[in-house]
Amino acid sequence: MPVLRIADKPKPIPLPYIESRIPKPEELVILSKPLLDATILIGKALTNCMNKWAFGGDVAEVILGVNVQPNHIAILTSREGCDEIARNLATYQIEPAGTVEREIERDAKVDLKSHKVRIKSYTARFDVQGSRLDVHGDLQIKVGDWDWGDPLDFEPDYVYVVGVKVPIVPLKMKSELYTGLGWMDRVSKIHEAVVRSRHMFG
Amino acid sequence: MPTTITEPAADVVILGVGYMSGVIAAELSIPKFNGNKPYKVVAITKGPYWDYVNDFSTTKYDEWGVGLGRKYDSPLPLQSATIRNTPYQFALPVRRYTMPIQYHALGHGVGGAAQHYGGTMGRQGPWGYTQKSSTINRYGQSFLDTVNPHSDLEDWPLTYADYEPYYVDWEKAHGLCGDYNGSATNQPSDTGYPWMSVNYPLPPSPLTPLGQSFQTAAQALGYHPFPHVSALASQPYVNQYGVPVNPCVYDGYCGGPCDYACETGAKANAAYRTIPAAMKSGNFTLVVNSFIFRLDTDPTTGLVTAARYYDPQGNVHIQPGTVFFNGMWGYNMIRIMLLSGIGAPYVWNSDPTLVSGSVGRGLTNGYLPYRGTNVSGTLPNNGGNAYPAGNGSGGSVDIYDLMDDNFDHGPGLSGLNGSPPFIGGAEIGAGGYPGGGPGNITFAGGVSSASMGGTFKATQKDKYLPTKTTLSSTPSAHDLPTTDNYVDLDPHYTDIYGDPLARLTYDWTPNTYNGATFLVKKVKDIFTQMGAQNVTIGSTVAPGAVHNDWWGHHLRGGCRIGADQSTSVWNKWNQCWSPVSKPVFNIFGAGEITNTSGDNVPSGTHVAGPQSYRAAEGIKQYLLQMTHGLLT
Repeated sequence: MPVLRIADKPKPIPLPYIESRIPKPEELVILSKPLLDATILIGKALTNCMNKWAFGGDVAEVILGVNVQPNHIAILTSREGCDEIARNLATYQIEPAGTVEREIERDAKVDLKSHKVRIKSYTARFDVQGSRLDVHGDLQIKVGDWDWGDPLDFEPDYVYVVGVKVPIVPLKMKSELYTGLGWMDRVSKIHEAVVRSRHMFG
Repeated sequence: MPTTITEPAADVVILGVGYMSGVIAAELSIPKFNGNKPYKVVAITKGPYWDYVNDFSTTKYDEWGVGLGRKYDSPLPLQSATIRNTPYQFALPVRRYTMPIQYHALGHGVGGAAQHYGGTMGRQGPWGYTQKSSTINRYGQSFLDTVNPHSDLEDWPLTYADYEPYYVDWEKAHGLCGDYNGSATNQPSDTGYPWMSVNYPLPPSPLTPLGQSFQTAAQALGYHPFPHVSALASQPYVNQYGVPVNPCVYDGYCGGPCDYACETGAKANAAYRTIPAAMKSGNFTLVVNSFIFRLDTDPTTGLVTAARYYDPQGNVHIQPGTVFFNGMWGYNMIRIMLLSGIGAPYVWNSDPTLVSGSVGRGLTNGYLPYRGTNVSGTLPNNGGNAYPAGNGSGGSVDIYDLMDDNFDHGPGLSGLNGSPPFIGGAEIGAGGYPGGGPGNITFAGGVSSASMGGTFKATQKDKYLPTKTTLSSTPSAHDLPTTDNYVDLDPHYTDIYGDPLARLTYDWTPNTYNGATFLVKKVKDIFTQMGAQNVTIGSTVAPGAVHNDWWGHHLRGGCRIGADQSTSVWNKWNQCWSPVSKPVFNIFGAGEITNTSGDNVPSGTHVAGPQSYRAAEGIKQYLLQMTHGLLT
């Protein structure tokens, strides 16, 4: 029995309280469980990969705190790296490696004009426990009528995903890429994540 | 006009939203972790939601406001506690913030006390779970009686091996940094150093020069040093719930006086590790700025039916639920049980054989005596002081060799070196990034020559310039439960709503002092090996010479899990089994206050963490079975 019984009479609280804004679910950055599990599996499988590789695409951005909604995993590497990864993930491969060139859905916006964007890479596709994985070797980008850019190259950052150390395409490179394409909304999202990860006064 | 509002019923109602509650929220609300059940979870906290950028990034550097004004902390006028050293004294309430660390005032809002802690962690070893039986088996009952008069020491309901998988889950969820625990073999048979089935998910912070010096000296003396275990992410991290974590930026304002919140979310707590995942699930409702004052029970079944709380406007809300989780900090967990008539209240008696009840029983303090036996020295030109930009707990090195039963405690045996008998010991370490802020205001303890003027300036110079490093240690063996230290309801003082405050009856136990007498000599040897000068043992404090007069506590026990229903509140599933007229099987609880016994691993939080996963598992089973009985 209760030690004390007091009337459940509501009482006004005379103290000021701290205003609190609870974020909406869509504002919270979370990597979904299937993509997370696949990322861990891939990270472990490629621990001893000799060629340079890194998670790219939206998964890489979520891992670094950017609020985007990935639906598949992408890895950037070289052509040789793509073949090596295919050997390591052979049981999950659903399409053999080959050169693929295609137009992406979103146009670039340069000097207030829209331009079609094409990408070309030596690509292999996988299904890792229900999650799609695209591995791009020597990815190149072409905007409008300009020439193809050089194959993407980078020095990866590293993130520990549930204890598994994995390479990630740096946000700095992504930000520069998006800026060049005129995708300022994506630049802004990266900026928000970077602000949240940095010391305010230095 | 304030009114009474009945909320929609939930499957799980969580009381308080701190470290342990975050685990329950994530594990029960996310279908991938709860067996794809559409459980609805509601969590209620008296404080706000904290966002590390919006709430802390530009305001945490207010040393006066944070350190003294306690602007992030629980307002004392709302609720406090009373304290006394013995049952024969009149307990007085804490009315003002008097010390840099005010644990009773922390724990306000989402994340709880962990918003303000130093981030130090460390597993409790196998001996910690069997202290009573191991001591009796090795040294005899009379030895324990001598070491701990009026002993109320109990074994835990499970062993370290049982908790080990839950430790792993806890460490993954919060991104703990470390590199095993000093064991040469890391085998389950290596009982002295907690073996680990999986290493910590993040590497330790880089060692400071002082940490390296300690490491070298400890190794030379035959100890097994290892990097301090920290909850401040040393690297970018993603936990098992998919929550990305920013790494520590070593901003200089961190754990010094345990005041400074983290502005990047690197310092682990529920707000930045588990609650976001629960919120994302769509099955979780967070209620903030709401003060829980009662749990309703059904007079027929005895089960808890609802939690009652005040909102900021003074309305009373009734939150019905199927299962309840008590995740309130410290004595608040005990207080809500006593106010609601749940569990058997502890009733003290001067004759230890005549005490009864369990709610409030077994209170211990995991912190060293405020003015205990100490040893100090000066290390010239070490350079450790060139790293003031701290992260609170990282960068240092520890040894477990002088804790638990890792050396012979028997009377007359060599290990004790002529010291009074005690059990356990201490984790000894050195070299952490200071991280207390440039000023590190300490006026709260009273203005002195050390806190202002020339002496203060000289201290600051030593702290930031490569001149000299002061080494100091106040080791103690851990505090043991006795029948004389406990929590009950104060008969005189109330909170702002008129309900009795928690009353703490507490003083240090002899074990803490006697261990210190032994340990300072060992620490002196290490300091000397490091090359420190003028290494001296400042004073040797005998039991009873100094009483507890400090309001800051690392409270443990008081609402214990256990294997004996008459002395513990929770069973091995952290499910309430304290005998009352009606069983109250649908409330679970976990926290430092549920630790069966203390130990001198610095973080009772780390030891409590596995209990939260155990409780989550228990709640899942309870919801599946719905038999309203004890889980087996």
